[in-house]
Amino acid sequence: MSAVSEYVGNIKDAVTSIFEGMAVTASHFMRKPYTVQYPDRMPVRVQDTLPFRYRGILEVDLEICTGCLACERACPIDCIVIVVDKDPQTRQMLLSQFDIDIAKCMYCGLCSEPCPTGSIHHTTEFEGADYSLESLIRRFVKDPVMAYKPKKGPETDTRIAPILNRGMTYLDQWAQPGGEKPAEEEEPA
Amino acid sequence: MSTLHTEEMTLNMGPQHPSTHGVLRFVVRADGEVMREAIPDVGYLHRSIEKIAEKVGYHGFMPYTDRVDYVCAMFTNQGWGMACEKLANIEVPHRGEYCRVIAAEFNRIASHLLSVGAMAMDIGAVTPFTHAIREREMINDLIEELCGARLTFNYMRIGGVAWDLPPGWREKALAYLDHFDPILEEYNALISWNKIYIERLANVGVITPAEAINYNLVGPNLRACGIKWDIRKDIPYSVYPEFEFDVPIGDGHWGKLGDSMDRYVVRIREMAESSKILRQALHKIPGGPVLAKVARNFKPPKGECQIRLESGRGDMGWYVVSDGTGYPWRVHVRTGSFAAMGIIQKLSAGLMIADLVTLIASLDVIAPEIDR
Amino acid sequence: METLVHNLIASGAFGKNASPSMVAAIVVFIMSAVVFLGVAFPFAGIVSWAERRVWARIQSRVGPNRVGPQGFLQWLADGVKHVCKEDIIPDESDAPLFKMAPYLVMLAFTLPWAVMPFSSSLILADLNVGILYMTSVTALTVVGVLMAGWASNDKWSLIGGIRSAAQIVSYEIPAGLSIFPVVLMTGTLSMQGIIRAQGWAPQHWFLFANPFTFVAANILYISALAEGNRTPFDLPEAESELVAGFATEYSGMRYLFFFMAEWGNLFIIGAIIATLFLGGWQFPHVTKNVVAMNILQAITFNVKVLFLVFVSMWIRATLPRVRIDQLMTLCWKYFVPISFVNMIGTAVWVAIWPDGNSLMGYIMLAGAIALAAVFTQRVIYYLRRSRMEVYFNPTI
Repeated sequence: MSAVSEYVGNIKDAVTSIFEGMAVTASHFMRKPYTVQYPDRMPVRVQDTLPFRYRGILEVDLEICTGCLACERACPIDCIVIVVDKDPQTRQMLLSQFDIDIAKCMYCGLCSEPCPTGSIHHTTEFEGADYSLESLIRRFVKDPVMAYKPKKGPETDTRIAPILNRGMTYLDQWAQPGGEKPAEEEEPA
Repeated sequence: MSTLHTEEMTLNMGPQHPSTHGVLRFVVRADGEVMREAIPDVGYLHRSIEKIAEKVGYHGFMPYTDRVDYVCAMFTNQGWGMACEKLANIEVPHRGEYCRVIAAEFNRIASHLLSVGAMAMDIGAVTPFTHAIREREMINDLIEELCGARLTFNYMRIGGVAWDLPPGWREKALAYLDHFDPILEEYNALISWNKIYIERLANVGVITPAEAINYNLVGPNLRACGIKWDIRKDIPYSVYPEFEFDVPIGDGHWGKLGDSMDRYVVRIREMAESSKILRQALHKIPGGPVLAKVARNFKPPKGECQIRLESGRGDMGWYVVSDGTGYPWRVHVRTGSFAAMGIIQKLSAGLMIADLVTLIASLDVIAPEIDR
Repeated sequence: METLVHNLIASGAFGKNASPSMVAAIVVFIMSAVVFLGVAFPFAGIVSWAERRVWARIQSRVGPNRVGPQGFLQWLADGVKHVCKEDIIPDESDAPLFKMAPYLVMLAFTLPWAVMPFSSSLILADLNVGILYMTSVTALTVVGVLMAGWASNDKWSLIGGIRSAAQIVSYEIPAGLSIFPVVLMTGTLSMQGIIRAQGWAPQHWFLFANPFTFVAANILYISALAEGNRTPFDLPEAESELVAGFATEYSGMRYLFFFMAEWGNLFIIGAIIATLFLGGWQFPHVTKNVVAMNILQAITFNVKVLFLVFVSMWIRATLPRVRIDQLMTLCWKYFVPISFVNMIGTAVWVAIWPDGNSLMGYIMLAGAIALAAVFTQRVIYYLRRSRMEVYFNPTI
């Protein structure tokens, strides 16, 4: 008798579970697909929808680079090459080369963390594919420039101030070691 | 009839195959549909990550740990962080531990979603995979807001985490959990309790508890055999003692104890448990710093340390030997998938070829973790 | 057909001395060309696009929507791509058999169109063994698939081919047995005869005539799916195990022939069920105009068949695959005994009520409506519970 009941039970299980499964898929017919039809059927460019902390292709704001080489030391894969030396005439630090090889870069963020002014930062750009390997070495220095000297008080040069602001906002996102950073969600829930 | 001469075939489920999870190769000796033996061949994804650690130093190794197991990268990050902290006796601030647990449990849900989705796809149902990936995409969106990347997070640092929770993220995370719990039930109704699916999984690849311990299985593979062993409860680390959660184990309800259905259901239940932990963590998270002060050129004292943590695949062990300089002397990772490869050869005798695919999928083998 | 030939000769289009058989032959050729080139092959292509769109909505994604309006020309693009591919014939394979196998499978797909009853007079050949012809000719796929598996000189293909042969041959039996209840009730094997024995209203369909035919219809549908190598029975081409099963070594248009035959078979499956159980082209007699009636009947038939094609795609997206031994268990231990019970039960039914029992028709129809209501309630439950955005538009 148990064989018969098992037989009938199998048929019943099969029919009910398949019925439920078909109901679930039928309900999906009436739902909005989750696909984002990139890049042409989108209301906004994808790059503008990405969060601020997105680790896309690196960019350097040379106006506020201090030439401290902290990013070059921090990079685990040695994709940043900086040449900075003291100019004998003006006694200033002169940046003559700042290359980032974005083919090697693994977008880890370890270079932008120690930057004192936030000049090297990740953007939301991710479309970097190109036809030649040479073009993947981004050279940020066209002519040798002077390195930036951070001032004691607020920056007065109106050309540099907004760039510095942006750099420092970027740096604020990173956790401050050991500091009492007040958390936004303080209230006990 | 018994003197009918049959030959056995040697088939090659090559490194490129739609259903081996990553780059794996099996040499299958089969007698028609029934297999005699399936010999695994690993090493196609070896990238010498452990050796690279000796070159890049302690801080620089953190992005490389993501690549050890890219499906659940938060756990590998946490493992490396914990190993270095134990070497140098650094204490992670309380809020930093909470951030770690939140990120890790979200990643556990994402990893298990991928595992159960891929398993359903290997069995032949194509929709549960896309549904699982859709849910994983939503978790990826959350984590992208938190740390800027969707797969190789590099979120944790030695001494804590690199970014605090952004404003408004907690509400989004809780909203996602409210969305996720009914979706899990719907997923179960679609595929987990489907009779055809249960017939395919029950009694396939039965692992007895003694075998599981002898072959060094960990994680859901071990718990499905009825053994209640979870590092989060038995060797507690981080802030897990502050949370209330269950450890689901298999019970042989649909077939024998320790079959593929048990392993599958343990993963589904673990997702529900992670959701519980996340809700508690998101509500109880304290204020304060998230990162301890660690020197930029980190030189831990001479010595060695070993830590264990519960990753998506089970008990992951990190072993670091330091010689006092800024570069480790030796790093070793012990992952659950490597042990699971060993038991496939033993279990495959007598299975059909279709069952081999089920077995590999149910053991949740991830190729980069095997070869590193 | 004879009246058509008579009318054509009488209208003088073929000259005064046209022999009827010659005119009949010309008419048959033209009609076959229209049916095959205009309906069968384009259908096999279009259903590939439709399947991808239907699957995509079930899977929360979009499916092909770029090539042409709503991606409608995607199948043409796929066809052109496959034609442009290199025709690879493996060195050690059996070349004549290798090349012939796709054509045999295509033959099994094209032959049933000769008896496809589109409307009361639109049928190429109203054989008096119509349904028997249809089921026996679809079994030619076994020969083609076995040939493909063996001639590929590849162990994976061989496994796929042998699995498929075992599957198709086994599932012929429940399929054949499930046709018997209908034959018992009508006494004829011809397609038009079976359709004429049903009415246009659902309660007069054979599906709801008695519980035995209801079960027989379901078993016939599932067995036909198994014969057509569709999920949940698509082991021969199980993508995750055998790459593409018996068709692994094929490339280009030869590969596409196998799949066109499979997609086109969906129509044949739907046509068999629609004819036998859903009343075929039956439509209420609303006008005396023969042409208009024929058009309405053809539309009804197509709607019924396309609905069944849609259900096949829906089932394929939902269910996982069964293993080969479970497939055999299902056939021999479940379907064959139940089919025998159906046959005997229908025989007893016909003996008791030779003219049919319309009360049972109404009761079964009420039961089916109740089942549909329960289904709709579950669908609404899942829609509400998931709280995802509702979107009814099929285009996106």
